[in-house]
Amino acid sequence: MWRKVAALCLMVLLVAPSLSAQAREKDQRRTNPTEELPAGPMQAKATTACTECHEARIILQQRLSKAAWTKEVDKMAKWGALVDAADRDALIDYLSANFGPDKPAYEPPRTADKIASGKSK
Amino acid sequence: MNSRRDFLKQISGAALAAGITPLLAQTLLRAQAVEFPGEDDMILRSFRFVDLESPVEYFNTWLTPVPHFFVRNHMYEPSELDANEWRLSIGGEVEKLLTLSLAELSKFEVHSVVNTLECAGNGRSLHRPQVPGIQWGKGAVGTARFSGPRLRDVLQRAGIKPTGKHVMFRGLDEVPGKVPPFIRSIPVEKALDADTLIATHMNGSALTKHHGFPARALVPGWIGAASCKWLTEIKVLESEFVGNFMNPGYRFPNQPMKPGDTVKPEDTHPVTALTVKSVIAAPSDGASLKTGKVMVHGAAWAGEADVTKVEVSADGGSTWNSANLGREQSHYAWRLWNYEWNAGKSGDYTILSRATDSQGRTQPASPVWNPSGYLYNAVDQVKIHVA
Repeated sequence: MWRKVAALCLMVLLVAPSLSAQAREKDQRRTNPTEELPAGPMQAKATTACTECHEARIILQQRLSKAAWTKEVDKMAKWGALVDAADRDALIDYLSANFGPDKPAYEPPRTADKIASGKSK
Repeated sequence: MNSRRDFLKQISGAALAAGITPLLAQTLLRAQAVEFPGEDDMILRSFRFVDLESPVEYFNTWLTPVPHFFVRNHMYEPSELDANEWRLSIGGEVEKLLTLSLAELSKFEVHSVVNTLECAGNGRSLHRPQVPGIQWGKGAVGTARFSGPRLRDVLQRAGIKPTGKHVMFRGLDEVPGKVPPFIRSIPVEKALDADTLIATHMNGSALTKHHGFPARALVPGWIGAASCKWLTEIKVLESEFVGNFMNPGYRFPNQPMKPGDTVKPEDTHPVTALTVKSVIAAPSDGASLKTGKVMVHGAAWAGEADVTKVEVSADGGSTWNSANLGREQSHYAWRLWNYEWNAGKSGDYTILSRATDSQGRTQPASPVWNPSGYLYNAVDQVKIHVA
């Protein structure tokens, strides 16, 4: 019997921190409503080039081929995105590698529901 | 709302099955939320610019409450909007230039139109191969009662010259970088239609900032992009406005094309009226239900045409059954519909909905692919499990 109790306690100890870490991660998303681009050699340059005008979530939700990313990068450069000519190909590679058609769909969060929780109306 | 309660029940059910308490599930659900005053329980497609999608479970009322109405912005919303300072100018091919304050605009006769407004890119994420743009699911659409002066009354006060063939709208949205401004035009015939408005109200209240306060164009039955928000300039033109959001933006191939192919700009035409479409609001995709009666319901719309029929299939499209159409209707508004399905046996089911309109158009079984992912209107489907 005590083994069962010990196993249960161990489970609680193991599971509880991971749940609270999960909740903490989601809390951070609540306080910071914009996303960040994924790690990689081009993360900083992509952040400068793209998020000057729009947030990273617009990129995170795309699932495009390399040909389509090439068109997008060239269009955005024409529209004012700061892309050094020497970085263009690496930026296209970075976007294609992270946001290609084979990646699972991006799961967006929702805005707070104040009607259901009775905070407004 | 019932649908939300059902949704929470499903979430709680799934959480229980996974050994998580319903309370913890609720906490996790809420912790994921992003604070967004006045926009409740919306799918956050983009925070900057603001792009919000209605979860389909809210398609259970004829008029969509404003806090659940989708928001589509191409640019930054105006940083400053002072109703007292706001002016609307009417110029171009007119006899007399006009500049109207909000008080002057409010002296025109008020007209109301219940209109289903849908983003041209609604459903874009469902195209294969995927195409660039906001990856809308099914909820960049909503129905509201829009009120304000008729555009034609304002245009007639200025007096359209015989050379005036198109009417351009410019809003106050703020353009970043070298991005082309969001300026579009509509043909003068549509501008003079008795139901085309300069809307100042939505569901009886002044427009909120996200929906174009203090005034927006409302071009009923047409893609949302025609209904310019934060309207500040109307210009009558001799020909269609030339700009990115008229060409290459918002254009549709003249001929059907293979998914993934490219099309020349000269082989395309502007996207104007919406097409025929239905969406299932409930049951939710992936829901687990008990055997017995299941109310399948949703909304169906057809732009400038009327929905004449909605059919539901519970066997993946082998047999179809007529759904009941809701009592509330108006020319440019969606019809709610429902069908009571008897889920007699346990198993996995694909539920389909298919609308037909007064122009004889029926939703296609497969999407009509195009490079920008406009006007997705394939037969809707949800997959459910009955135990």
